[in-house]
Amino acid sequence: MKKIISIDIGSTWTKGGLFVLADKNLKLEKRLAVPTTQNNLVQGFSQALTGLLGKDENTPLKELVGAAEIYFSSSAKGGLRIAAIGLVPDLTLQLARLAAMSAGGKVMASFAFSLTRSDLANLEKLQPDILLFSGGTDGGNSQYILENARKLAGSALTCPVVYAGNRAVAEEVVELLHNKEVIVTENLMPEVGQVNLEPAREKIREIFLKRIVSGRGLAEIVELFGTQPRPTPLAVFELVSAIPAHQPEWSDLAAIDIGGATTDFYSNTESYLETDTVVLKGIREPRVKRTVEGDLGMRVSAQSLLDSGWPYLEERLQELGLWAESLKAYVDRISRDLDYLPGSEEESLFDRLLAETCVYYSALRHIGGWKETYTPQGRVYVQTGKDLRRVKAVIGSGGFLSAATTAQIMRHPLLKLKTYGQERKLLPEKPEFYADRQYLFSLLGNLVEKYPVEATALAVASLEKLNDEE
Amino acid sequence: MQPKNLSNREPEFKNMEKDTIILGVIGADCHSVGNKILELFFTAEGFKVVNLGVMVSQQEFINAAIETNAKAILVSSLYGHGEIDCQGFRDLCLEKGLDRILLYVGGNLVVGKTPFEIVEEKFKKMGFDRVFPPDVDLKKAAELLRQDIKERFGSNSTGPRNDGQAGQPEKSTPEAGARSTEDRDPKAE
Repeated sequence: MKKIISIDIGSTWTKGGLFVLADKNLKLEKRLAVPTTQNNLVQGFSQALTGLLGKDENTPLKELVGAAEIYFSSSAKGGLRIAAIGLVPDLTLQLARLAAMSAGGKVMASFAFSLTRSDLANLEKLQPDILLFSGGTDGGNSQYILENARKLAGSALTCPVVYAGNRAVAEEVVELLHNKEVIVTENLMPEVGQVNLEPAREKIREIFLKRIVSGRGLAEIVELFGTQPRPTPLAVFELVSAIPAHQPEWSDLAAIDIGGATTDFYSNTESYLETDTVVLKGIREPRVKRTVEGDLGMRVSAQSLLDSGWPYLEERLQELGLWAESLKAYVDRISRDLDYLPGSEEESLFDRLLAETCVYYSALRHIGGWKETYTPQGRVYVQTGKDLRRVKAVIGSGGFLSAATTAQIMRHPLLKLKTYGQERKLLPEKPEFYADRQYLFSLLGNLVEKYPVEATALAVASLEKLNDEE
Repeated sequence: MQPKNLSNREPEFKNMEKDTIILGVIGADCHSVGNKILELFFTAEGFKVVNLGVMVSQQEFINAAIETNAKAILVSSLYGHGEIDCQGFRDLCLEKGLDRILLYVGGNLVVGKTPFEIVEEKFKKMGFDRVFPPDVDLKKAAELLRQDIKERFGSNSTGPRNDGQAGQPEKSTPEAGARSTEDRDPKAE
């Protein structure tokens, strides 16, 4: 029997779980959450750890070494802020954005073609954690890349630069950016249509580790327990990646994680099925994909959700006979008081509408579509983006969806999305909906590298199937 | 863009030295057999072929040409609507900074029995460098392509990074300077 502890340091709560592994069977023993101590993350961490182990809160960390195997993740400091540069918006820039998001980052800004002065000013103002710099196939365009490298060299940007563009000019890029920290990795698109996100993702992860560990006490944890943290979204990404491989009946799945500041959408399914009547345009997206929406969230981003999500909200308010002004007043209130919980039936309904809106727009941006076209050879569908029709399970995670009591919170907005403009969205055709009731996804994500079979088994077993009744 | 037949790829470095050409069938045209033949043929002729397949829009041809620094775009059209589909192609290339790229077009370009000379003139007026009838000798076409590339890009045009500027003294790069604002994408999230 082995004791395993997983801790996730979030921006407001530090969550922990104590697991026991016996006969290849992983079981959750204890779960807790303590407030995150922003200026010294170790405090919250050790409070969680002592709590899980049933020790006195003031036990020095040193004395806990060896009491259990320890894994942890962190999304503190608002996660990983990435700026992306590509060449053509639909090709290398799109891949740069996907690579950044699937590495657990949040894309703060993205730029195509050559950087303008205002782009540079924008970048300097943003001061992202990482700049992902791509463009050109191997042996392809170099002019834009070199021009942008020259401009970046002259900028006040201080963050590390991950170069994942045309390999033929990698050395020149390094020379031009001699005053910056440059990490060269494989091209995101070595040839047109060839997608190669993994190497850049790995580099981003390494930088994240260094950066996050260096601040606010985490180095101590790493040294004591010999374990590296991962970004929380990456932990979930790894779990979603591993589930189909180890739990065959969960071959195609999606997960939606609605938080206070962002909404994350994960999918693991083949993105395009080639047939005579469906033609794919643009890049073929990876099987495992994460998108993160910084304007969709239940609290910190409630105000921007109101802007981005207005068309959906307006329709729903009308259907339910609710006042737009009341919703706006509610959003003002929760934006001021981020810990506010609904105090009336109407407020609960507003929260639910906000969650539906997060589902609707994150799905809209994550999922691809078909446009019908008539050709002399007959009707053809032109597909852009990712096909999620074969997804059988949609999992709700994050504070709000973990507590969902009905599948309708997710089903309803997805049904409304069936057609969007001229497009037929490639939504899951017959989805079952589940809630990550015990909020284990990020905790189990930390364990998946070491215990893929056991962690994925517990992950799916811990899900609660949602019905359509309220 | 579907993943292409990559099984018989040359070693990558060798590939990086070759002249890249973009291939595809324009418009709402699904004829894929000839397209595959062209890919095999031009690959065997020593070109680095980026085949975009069927139902390719002007913008897609141009996107691929920018990323790969291609020397030529070879447009096929077999269903008779080529004239409409190809309208404004050269202008869009210029607009997007591809001011030296070679444009070839071939196939059943118009409906009916228009004499080929008239078809050719039409497409040349549109800015295509070469226009081919359906029964063209591909060997000849490849030879012309090599010649045209040599003429336009200089004799030592191959090499991993010439950006269409090889064979010319270093000078201001028109492709970089004047970009229209609409093809930029400074999305700020």
